[in-house]
Amino acid sequence: MSILHRNKPDFSPEKIYKKRRLSLEKQEARAALVFVLPFFIGFVIFGLAPFFYALYISFMDFNSFKSLDSLKWTGLSNYKAILNDSVAISSYFKSFYYTIIYVPLLTVAGFLAAVLLNKSFYLKAFSRSLFLMPYVANIVAISIVFTMLFDPFGGIVNIVLTKIGVDHPPLWFAGTQTAILTTALVAVWANFPFQMIVYLAALQGVPRDLYEAAEIDGATRWQKLSRITLPMVSPTTFFLVITATIGSFQNFTIFNALTRGGPGIASRVASLNMYEEAFSLNHYSYSAAQAIVLFVIILLISAIQWGGQKKWVHY
Amino acid sequence: MGALLMRKNLSKGLYSILIIFIALTMISPFVFMLSASLKTTADAFDDPLAHIIPKTIYWENYKTLFSSPDYFIWIGNSFKVVVISILLRGFMVTMAAYAFARLNFKGKGLLLFFSMSTLAIPSDTTVVARYLLYKYLHMLDTHWAIIIPAIFDVFFLFLLRQFFMGIPKEITEAAIIDGCSHYRVYFRIILPLAVPALMTMVIFSFVYIWNDFAGPFIFISSQGKQLVTVGLQYFASIAGANYSLQMAGASIVVLLPIILFTFAQKYFVEGIASSGVKG
Repeated sequence: MSILHRNKPDFSPEKIYKKRRLSLEKQEARAALVFVLPFFIGFVIFGLAPFFYALYISFMDFNSFKSLDSLKWTGLSNYKAILNDSVAISSYFKSFYYTIIYVPLLTVAGFLAAVLLNKSFYLKAFSRSLFLMPYVANIVAISIVFTMLFDPFGGIVNIVLTKIGVDHPPLWFAGTQTAILTTALVAVWANFPFQMIVYLAALQGVPRDLYEAAEIDGATRWQKLSRITLPMVSPTTFFLVITATIGSFQNFTIFNALTRGGPGIASRVASLNMYEEAFSLNHYSYSAAQAIVLFVIILLISAIQWGGQKKWVHY
Repeated sequence: MGALLMRKNLSKGLYSILIIFIALTMISPFVFMLSASLKTTADAFDDPLAHIIPKTIYWENYKTLFSSPDYFIWIGNSFKVVVISILLRGFMVTMAAYAFARLNFKGKGLLLFFSMSTLAIPSDTTVVARYLLYKYLHMLDTHWAIIIPAIFDVFFLFLLRQFFMGIPKEITEAAIIDGCSHYRVYFRIILPLAVPALMTMVIFSFVYIWNDFAGPFIFISSQGKQLVTVGLQYFASIAGANYSLQMAGASIVVLLPIILFTFAQKYFVEGIASSGVKG
């Protein structure tokens, strides 16, 4: 009797539910494998591996055409070589110079444009889409137009400058002092719409009653901007500055399209110098070492920015 | 009362004019480009400020452009790469995003953290490694060197995961309890509800892959396989002193994403806003 009872399947609702749950969990685990594995394999090969491969190559002697199995371990010699390479070192400073022009200007331009558009006016959607247009434009097309506009002799910009009485207008892309600066300005023009849209979304999140209370207390327009708007959007500013800084070192495309490192090597930023080392001189390991150094520099700058956020970011 | 309203409308009107003026200044390089492409080089550059709208439209640049076979091959190549990339990316990324948003599995948090951290690696720093990797995989000088790496995109994985998490859990849980498999839930419930997020991904992907320069520049060497961005640079160097012809080439390349963007601006704006504010 008791044995029979024990073998009798339990059809109580709790048990069925539990069993069902278990099989659901099993099903979930299997589905997760199918859903994630293809992406994960691809991500490891094409997203993660190149970074570790770059790290590995940077310690080898792959500095001429040779087969991959004859590579030898050379320790830190590629890294030591950077210290004696004035072109490489100056390329880091050029990248840094570009970043400290580009990031602040980009952030300010994006914020100002957002403040301008965050009011009620006619043809709002139309104006906004015009503001966004530079962001979708092709960089090579941009470079074709801007090299003509900023041509030191015969470009529209300098024609206008000469007409209004500037005796020696800048050489823009062709000047050793101005090539990086001009490139940064074009990059700001092409990329500010992104910051603008993010700021517009952030501005809409600032509670109206804050401004109303400030108006009752007689706050000026400038006070409202500096005491309410700026602190309220500071987390957004922080996010935008961090990502723009990382992005600003990603400048191979714009420099290659606009200056190709010229005049001479005046605007040969780190990404261009790494390209030259690898693909003109076949110094693959040396180029990889320079890339790792650049990565460490970016990491340090991000860490400093991260540490500094307490002082000005209000959550 | 009426006077006050009128003054308010007037200042709104003046403000609108100011904004339109700034917006037009912002796109003046495009206006200049289009205008110069419809003139002879001499007309366009002897007195560039005269006749922004050309007196007589000069179509010769576009005729030359359309009779250059390379230009069409490049545009075709770009279309092919963009479409295949978007399809494969859409498939892979949404599947993984579904798992990260809805399924429980071991190491989920760690995996997500790992993927996100690669966003901090600028792709310029891995160019050499990727070049050697693609060489090893025999992907160099094929369109796969652009397509395959584009599929596994962490940024869109994160964006779509956020969107999927916003879809009410009750809907999918009810379906699962009723015996619906996860594959069906993903296909029949999640994907149809995620159309706005998918549109965002499609538009961004189109713009980014169409405008990508470094990828095709470094990994594709045959002229016949080249994509339009690098092709345009090559085209410009051949056109040389024929600046109007260069402008015509540039205009077509710029126009295609702008047309797309004009129709789908809403998704574009929402995509940027959500990536910035929630991220």
